[in-house]
Amino acid sequence: MRQTLNQKLELAITLAITNVKIRYKNSVLGYIWSLLTPLIYLVIFVSIFSERFDVEKYPLYALTGLIFWNYFNTTVNQILYSIVASAEVLKSMNVPRLIFPISALLSALINLILSLVPFFILMFFFEFEPSIKSLQFIYILICFSSFTLGFSLILCALNVYFRDVGMLWTTINPALFYFSPIIWKIDMLPEYSMIRRLTILNPIHHYLNAFRTAFYDNQWMTLEQTGIITIIGLVMLIIGYRIFSNLEKGFYSHY
Amino acid sequence: MDEDIIIKVKDVDICFYVHNEGVSSFKQWIFSFGTKKLFQKKNVLRNISFEVKRGESVGFLGRNGSGKSTILKAIAGVIPPEKGSIEVNGKIAPMLAIGVGLEPELSGYENIKIGCSLMGLQRHRIKELMQNIVDFSELTHDDLRLQVKRYSSGMKARLGFSMAVAEQPEVLIVDEALSVGDAQFKEKCSKRIDEIREKGTTILFVSHSIHEVRRICNRAIWINQGDLMAIGDVKEVTEQYENS
Repeated sequence: MRQTLNQKLELAITLAITNVKIRYKNSVLGYIWSLLTPLIYLVIFVSIFSERFDVEKYPLYALTGLIFWNYFNTTVNQILYSIVASAEVLKSMNVPRLIFPISALLSALINLILSLVPFFILMFFFEFEPSIKSLQFIYILICFSSFTLGFSLILCALNVYFRDVGMLWTTINPALFYFSPIIWKIDMLPEYSMIRRLTILNPIHHYLNAFRTAFYDNQWMTLEQTGIITIIGLVMLIIGYRIFSNLEKGFYSHY
Repeated sequence: MDEDIIIKVKDVDICFYVHNEGVSSFKQWIFSFGTKKLFQKKNVLRNISFEVKRGESVGFLGRNGSGKSTILKAIAGVIPPEKGSIEVNGKIAPMLAIGVGLEPELSGYENIKIGCSLMGLQRHRIKELMQNIVDFSELTHDDLRLQVKRYSSGMKARLGFSMAVAEQPEVLIVDEALSVGDAQFKEKCSKRIDEIREKGTTILFVSHSIHEVRRICNRAIWINQGDLMAIGDVKEVTEQYENS
């Protein structure tokens, strides 16, 4: 069954909306949960670190980090299990497999956009000054999503063969959280520090940096910054897509 | 391809790759530096060739685990053949399992929309077909507004079957789908399949009931442990199968 691009897109959107609906169906607080997770973290880190850390407007700094880390985290988790969770469907219908990761990404995006409104209100209390420069975040979000999709496609495809990949991600995830400058700032580390040099290699650092340029520093991104986030996003997406489409040929043995 | 022939299966081998020892096979693979195979190859179908003409009804016979469902999945495009080729010249409606992909948390109406989109129908087409599906399923408006997790297995089967036969396909694959629902609904399902067949749809039918195969099909294929044993007129093949 050959489907046109239009049909595929329609299917992906239908499934994404379904995902969002299901997520909020059986919990009392529903949509509030997607706000609550970063907020609880925010309260914890602000109450512990805001006195100790010499960071201007620390709550705003931490919040911008936490919102987008939370987005990254939920997206990876949803894409990671998207194929395995739809095994029954894929076993009996000829649906393009890539539809499932893509609809997982779309549903995470819908979720993020819904949560941004209350977060913006909160950011006002933390001395956020909106300007035309804040709108850069749309471009950064596109690059970040493309990076996240590429990264998750690799995990997702490997997870079909070895379910250990999902477990492994669960354990590595907190390490990545502390390794990325979400609640701390890279200037806090001395120039010669090993961690500081390694952080430069962490793509998440570059994306958070970009988001903060728009929301926290209230600046335009430099050409170098724009280049880095665009290239990482594109390269990751291409690698992820290539690995996924190579591995998906063997999925049928492992559903 | 000959215009009359709708499905052409040629020299098809189908294999599964399994890692049956879990971690230990992974360890062996690492310590052999990739020279040992990580996955074991399991051959489930060997050298299968047959053709189906437009409008024919073909029954598939064989014991459990002989590979009947596998060949149908390959025709439906779910499993790629290891060797050989499968050509299909039309739109397939696979009824390999009924009620697959139903979202238990959502209502019957929402599930019809999701299910039909998965089958490749577009939104406007689903709207047109909605009434047909609802009518055929005989579920009431109140039932359909209920979450599917509150449905009985028979109701789920009704919903699934109604979606699968909503549109006239060129090839209909039926895999033991008739063994669900109450007697009255079963009757209705076989009537609908007859109706679809009479309109010229090709039917591929798997059942353990030889009686049903004889009633519905005009040709039959007998598969035993991955090998094609016989193919031909439904009467001859079912007799061979019974006597084996």
